[in-house]
Amino acid sequence: MKQIESACLIDDDHIFIFAAKKILLATDICQNFIIYNNGADAIEGLSEIIKTGKNVPDLILLDINMPIMDGWQFLDEFIKMKYPKKVTLYIVSSSIDPVDIKKAKEYEAITDFIIKPITRKNLINMVATVFDKEQD
Amino acid sequence: MKELYKQLFQKHVTKDNVSYTYMDSIQRDIAIGSWEVNLQNNEVTWSAMTKTIHEVEQDYNPSLEEGINFFLEGYDRELISILFNRAVNKQEPYDNEVQLKTAKNNIKWVRIVAYPVIKNDATQKVIGVIQDITEKNKTLFELKLKEELIRTTFDNAPNAMALVSLDGQILTSNKSFSDYLGYTKEELSGFPINTLSHPEDVDVIPQNIKDLIAGKSNKFQCEKRYIRKDKSIIHCLLSVSILRDENFKPVHFISHIIDITKRTIANKKVETLLKTTKQQNERLLNFAHIVSHNLRSHSGNIQMLLDLMHSEIPEATNNEYVPLILEAVHQLSETIDNLNQVSTINDNKEQDLQRCNLLDFTNKAISNFSAEIKETKAIININIEQDIYVLAIPAYLDSILFNFISNALKYKQDHITPEITLSAEQSDKFVKIEIEDNGLGINLDLHKDKIFGLYKTFHNHKEAKGLGLYITKNQIEAMHGKVKVKSKINKGSIFSIYLMYETN
Repeated sequence: MKQIESACLIDDDHIFIFAAKKILLATDICQNFIIYNNGADAIEGLSEIIKTGKNVPDLILLDINMPIMDGWQFLDEFIKMKYPKKVTLYIVSSSIDPVDIKKAKEYEAITDFIIKPITRKNLINMVATVFDKEQD
Repeated sequence: MKELYKQLFQKHVTKDNVSYTYMDSIQRDIAIGSWEVNLQNNEVTWSAMTKTIHEVEQDYNPSLEEGINFFLEGYDRELISILFNRAVNKQEPYDNEVQLKTAKNNIKWVRIVAYPVIKNDATQKVIGVIQDITEKNKTLFELKLKEELIRTTFDNAPNAMALVSLDGQILTSNKSFSDYLGYTKEELSGFPINTLSHPEDVDVIPQNIKDLIAGKSNKFQCEKRYIRKDKSIIHCLLSVSILRDENFKPVHFISHIIDITKRTIANKKVETLLKTTKQQNERLLNFAHIVSHNLRSHSGNIQMLLDLMHSEIPEATNNEYVPLILEAVHQLSETIDNLNQVSTINDNKEQDLQRCNLLDFTNKAISNFSAEIKETKAIININIEQDIYVLAIPAYLDSILFNFISNALKYKQDHITPEITLSAEQSDKFVKIEIEDNGLGINLDLHKDKIFGLYKTFHNHKEAKGLGLYITKNQIEAMHGKVKVKSKINKGSIFSIYLMYETN
């Protein structure tokens, strides 16, 4: 299976990060992971990466409820950035609040809203979307 | 002079062919008659008008006694006797208002004036006039009565009233005013009304008062507080109007006060209660949200880890424990999902109700169960007219129909072909939807109170969770509807759902 350059996981839940990384590794899709534990760290880190242009993530999994800067605040900053390539961004949250799901639809940058827990199947689907985008 | 006298007493003929002297005419026009008692021969002379006042014939000539007897028996007659005797014996004139009864038995008020005519120190005659003042007195009495009525009303009004001078002093006040403020009427008289106001409310009305005086308004109303003599505070509704004289000049204010302390306190209580309830409700929603969200992430993580463990180290999961843990986690997740569903019902209440075609929604709901229907060979009857619409939140209507149909199929009797009948009829207020089955039924004697309760199950069915009816009922009520049930064990159940519809 084709690989993606790197995946960025933004979540304060280290168990989720651990499991998501494991699954992605096991599917042999991706070897590079960039991990941030809140929105602010992610904005800072991604800005640096965009400057160097190395290992720019193709896939971002974003949690909503995080300390310091939550997923929505991150998105508001993120869409202002000049992102050098097409990126697939998923909200991955435990929230099944219809308000959140509705809000997610208002952001063009969001590919989909995935309700936790994620399974191997979900993840493979997500990555498939990344490849679809590249073929566009 | 003699000529004038002659003219006055010269007889002339009026248009109704009666001859009168001019004096008689004058007397008649001013309703004053004259009379004379000659003490020499006790002869009594009444003028024509005097006779008219007494309602006697013009040829009637009374004796002194008869004349006096016209006055009302008792006080009036005795008074006149005494006064007349005094006029005769002490030569004192008199001028009094008394009542008499005419020959036609009418009671009249008259003013009677008498002068003794004296010659050589002896009273020769008593002469006088008599005036009919019944009309005048009647008006006076009416006025007095009105005044009395107003005064009694003022004094005994259940609301506090005070007349206040233009410079703000209490002129007079009624009993309720005293009762409200705890001062006596005497203490209040002359009291500047402003000093009774709560210090923070003193400035409430000056502009209104100015407008009243200037004639820009006739009255105003406001809520303000007063301080009683015992320093306690009363909340009042004050209305002030102004009295003007015929030249539109302000005379005084009329202040009218209603004690609304109890109402104000009750209102505050309700407000506080409402606020508390709102806060509690918000907290509860928050709580439900946090619980469901946080618990979801934990149960999700455990599921994820188990899933991972299963694929990475299958030998570690190949035992009795892991499947049980997995099952427990599944159930936990499910419980949390249910909890979330329940907590979102109230959230959605604000959503707009939409006009939904009942038959379309019913067909859609049934299509979800095509597999079950095929498997159980269930008979589904739909007696719903195409033109019946209900006012509903579409997602709720879906869920309600889904739940009832699902229950009807789930709780079927073994060896009996399930038959479900859905019907609807429109009444004044509601569309009544009936869902009838021939299933297991519910023992309502036992379960009546908890049939729509949370986590109540009535059958040992593997899929019975005790959530469907609870959520359904809440959804129906959130749409201002209601639900009723009739059921018999081993006969079946009929659920009646009442939903609003749009009246065109």
